[in-house]
Amino acid sequence: MTEKSKTDMDAVERALSAAREDLKVPEGLMARVLADAQAMTPKPPRAVVRSVRAPVWRMSFLGGWRGLGGLVAATCAGFWIGIAPPSAWPDAGALLLGVETSTTPYSDDSEALSVYGWDIEES
Amino acid sequence: MTGMLMPFDKHADPTDEALLSQYAAGDGSAAAVLTRRLLPRVYRHALRMLGDAAEAEDAAQETMMRLWRVAPDWRSGEAQITTWLFRVTANLCKDRLRKRRALGLDEIAEPPDPAPGVARTMQDRQRRDALQQALQALPDRQRQAVILRHIEGLSNPEIADIMDITPGAVESLTARGKRALADILAGRKSELGYQDD
Repeated sequence: MTEKSKTDMDAVERALSAAREDLKVPEGLMARVLADAQAMTPKPPRAVVRSVRAPVWRMSFLGGWRGLGGLVAATCAGFWIGIAPPSAWPDAGALLLGVETSTTPYSDDSEALSVYGWDIEES
Repeated sequence: MTGMLMPFDKHADPTDEALLSQYAAGDGSAAAVLTRRLLPRVYRHALRMLGDAAEAEDAAQETMMRLWRVAPDWRSGEAQITTWLFRVTANLCKDRLRKRRALGLDEIAEPPDPAPGVARTMQDRQRRDALQQALQALPDRQRQAVILRHIEGLSNPEIADIMDITPGAVESLTARGKRALADILAGRKSELGYQDD
């Protein structure tokens, strides 16, 4: 590089470094950009609101806790009756299905038992 | 005053990316901090690329709007925000320069007055204007590389990333650009007072 061109390059360097000085952003531009930013601010994510279901005993359609208590008692009673129905009650299942049920009369001196010799006692 | 936070204390140190993330989450004050931090560089780059203050303002505003728009989708760690901004600014400026040429309005624009109201010597003003006119005479890519390297102070790899070229190509562009600037300014040395420095 010749001395002359070096001087020219130095002049360019000085000009460029002077251009590095902070430029003042026009106030109008700053205001417009800030307004854009505010206008375009994304909506914060909405908090997820979980629908909290009322506890069972507060469900009004069941009649509140009193109604629910009756419901539980009736359920238990029905369950128990299903397992061990009173002997005086007819067999509801057989009635519905149309099946006859009969009890076998039993007596020690029944003729039927004598036929098979079941009434013979071993001596 | 210990323990008392000033309004901007919470944003004193966050990175650009952290601030953009806060903005994306709905924190408008983060955008204000980002604007004060980044807009001067965006505006300066647009001004040097276009040589026209009004057009530079429009380009800078559009660049920042694109940043606000992309904020919710910004992928952390993929690119530096400043790199992205310089790239968008340059692309917008090139579009404007192309339109200007297509309309036959490519005469050298009135040199910008970067800091109205600030007292400066006539010679400083003349030098600044001369530099801007010389920059406008460079091809777009040379001008972009020279501005990014010698005015914005970016490294060659950073410029390569912005311009999507190799660092070697950046070096070549900036060297040729500086030589061209020297040739242009050489004819005005005495007028600009460089011989007296």
